[in-house]
Amino acid sequence: MAKQPPFRFPHLDGGFFVFVQREENEMAMKRRDFMKGAAAVGAASVVGTPHLWFKNAGLAYAGQGEIKVGVLFSLTGTTGIIEESLNKATILAIEEINDAGGINGMRIVPVVEDPASDPATFAAKARKLVLGDKCVSVFGSYTSASRKAVLPVFEKRNNLYWYPTLYEGRECSKNVIYTGAVPNQQQDEFIPWLVKNFGKKFYLIGSNYIYPKEENNYCKKLLEKLGAEVVNEEYVPLGHSEFSSVINKIKSTQPNVIFSTVVGDSVVALHRQYRAAGLDPEKMPMASLTTSENEVAAMGGDAAAGHFTSAPYFMVHKSPENERFVEAYKARWGADKVTHFVSEPSYFQVYLFKQAVEKLAPSDITPPNIREAVKGEEMTAPQGRVRIERENLHTWLWPKIAVAKSDGQFEVLQDSKEWVQPVPYAAYPDQVCRESGLEKV
Amino acid sequence: MFEIFRNMTASRRQTLVQVLTYMLFCAAILIFPLFLDNDFLLNRYARYLVLGMVTMALSLSWGYAGILNLGQALSFGLGSYAMAMALKLRTVPVHTGAGGLPDFMVWNNVEKLPWFWEPFYSLGLAILAGIFVPVILAVVLGWFMFRGRITGVFVAIITLANLVVVNLLIIDQQRFTGGFNGITDLAQLEFFGFEFDAYSKSTYYLVAISLSLCLFGALALTKSKAGLILQAIRDHEERVRFFGYDVAVYQIMAMSVSAAIAGIAGMLYTVVMEFASPTFLSVPLSLSIVVWCAVGGRQSLLGATIGAIVVAGMQGALSESEAFLDTWMLIMGAIFVLVVLFLPNGLAGLIDMLARKAFGRGRHRKSDGPASDIIPTETAKSP
Repeated sequence: MAKQPPFRFPHLDGGFFVFVQREENEMAMKRRDFMKGAAAVGAASVVGTPHLWFKNAGLAYAGQGEIKVGVLFSLTGTTGIIEESLNKATILAIEEINDAGGINGMRIVPVVEDPASDPATFAAKARKLVLGDKCVSVFGSYTSASRKAVLPVFEKRNNLYWYPTLYEGRECSKNVIYTGAVPNQQQDEFIPWLVKNFGKKFYLIGSNYIYPKEENNYCKKLLEKLGAEVVNEEYVPLGHSEFSSVINKIKSTQPNVIFSTVVGDSVVALHRQYRAAGLDPEKMPMASLTTSENEVAAMGGDAAAGHFTSAPYFMVHKSPENERFVEAYKARWGADKVTHFVSEPSYFQVYLFKQAVEKLAPSDITPPNIREAVKGEEMTAPQGRVRIERENLHTWLWPKIAVAKSDGQFEVLQDSKEWVQPVPYAAYPDQVCRESGLEKV
Repeated sequence: MFEIFRNMTASRRQTLVQVLTYMLFCAAILIFPLFLDNDFLLNRYARYLVLGMVTMALSLSWGYAGILNLGQALSFGLGSYAMAMALKLRTVPVHTGAGGLPDFMVWNNVEKLPWFWEPFYSLGLAILAGIFVPVILAVVLGWFMFRGRITGVFVAIITLANLVVVNLLIIDQQRFTGGFNGITDLAQLEFFGFEFDAYSKSTYYLVAISLSLCLFGALALTKSKAGLILQAIRDHEERVRFFGYDVAVYQIMAMSVSAAIAGIAGMLYTVVMEFASPTFLSVPLSLSIVVWCAVGGRQSLLGATIGAIVVAGMQGALSESEAFLDTWMLIMGAIFVLVVLFLPNGLAGLIDMLARKAFGRGRHRKSDGPASDIIPTETAKSP
């Protein structure tokens, strides 16, 4: 049966009730008699009715001098503590911008939600923010799992998600602005530096999920080039806190460097048990991509002292912008609070959002226009000058190598000479993320 | 329908009232979208209905058969993974192109689609798997437990442990399951020429109709002879055994019907949420289902369903109101404590009590049998 134009139920209007006819519709039509009403309406299909989404096109995102944005960080649940600091950094930036007159005179109105560290709740709240509140952008997520859960919402509705966390790369979405580091930005300088200073035997330990595995994939490629050796590669379950067997293996394999991509509470347990086992950071340091001021505060400075982290930002970084940021953060949220390499992007990405929106006329403020406007946008963040890469919507950053001190802060040993380009597919040279999408080379 | 009436033991009028109430509820959820022109809210309510459905499944095994299955989310999660696997194979992977491996397998350096993914190319087989994998697991587990006359708290512990095992397995085998991130980036469900976009009336109706059918199916079961035997087992297992009934067979039956409904609910959840995640078969969700069931009234299928919808709806509303952003968990906790202390039969029990007061004496509880303890003490002492 040939395809026919959509058939409308005249008594039900609004375009919602379009009955999409397909090859199989003969059977469907026979059933119509008793499925009339409920089930027939159930046949309404959104894919066949794109005007549903265009209906939002005429909607003014910037109404009554206000711009609504979503803030989607967990305030409760397993990652609640770290994500709360991201929420605070985001809110601080929004308040600062509003106090300074807003964006072209328009106030940013944050809609704060608590997704409770649960991916399903993340997806539900993201829908509320995008479809219910009609936010023009959402700032959110710490874990990759939560980003993956909200991604369909932003891609199908062509909205914009601002993701501040370092992550494993290998994503090429047109609907996410990534302001955290990808593997090449954290490792390109760090791994050779470790080999030069400590030696060629590496022990890789990570939590068992995609982020550590991808970081290690890239690490192994770098090590191979340097002629270094991986003595063991091991993954522990998320939330794992019993590292005695790991420490025994470390003792027996005697690596020069323990390369750690363990996350969350496991970081604390690993460091404490390392210290309790009498291992010496001078001879066999841990080199981490995930240990920030936040984790150090949780484990205590003594357990962290002497271990290394590579990241684009540390609280002690010397720059006027960072001094302002740290001071404002403490004044707003408490003198005992720390800033770290995920809260700093949470803060500066709001300013990038502002710069992009500033370029647009109020009637042009839509998520796709903001995306176009933010491409190539630059600003001086607390860590240094940053830029959104036009091709892949990741960020040019300033990786630093630092050692933890017993006072809970880091000491920056080496700062990049120039900003480092984000290469989200660094471990896979046959794939490149471009403006047009993922390309095979 | 007539069979229900023939087999009923309570008074004809009571059953009639019950059936009418159920029909009223189903009619309400079915005509609801006519008054709501908001895709986002429809999607949200569809989600609550799915949660209502899995809670109803628990009420069938817990409230009617006395089997406190703390691993209810296992059947739910397996159903959702079955659907997610089928829909995943229908997407065109961005890294490998049409017909290629799912993206997370590429990330984990898998080279060939594992054999147990192959059947999921067929949506029909996937739906069968979504129902029968949980059922088979329930039968096997039930066979070991109930043949061994394990009851009470031990059933709760074993089912919970079982859930944890499968959950860890799924997180650990990320090469084949997507691990902690779950299975994301799914195609749209499509069958008989209908496309089910998560944000559309079609998906809402799919959920509402499935819930209605399962609700009446489960009601018919509880009104059948088998249903009465189940309630007798709940109230006094030994006595039923002395009558010559094979108690284990009935218990296994209750658990597997419950698993089948939970599996269907899980499949719908994937359609509504557009992804599957290990949190769908996590301990917190499983315990939430128990709490919803207790709040709604575990001895009423409809009560349990409404309990889930109301509590999940409240969680949504409270956590979204600015005033309660910091305290919503505390408020939810307080409500649970109050319900357990003062309304042992949940909301359904409260409504029953009010109805009895309003219409005078002579009316009994809609659902049958005395309100037993949360875990029947009679049976707890079996070996």
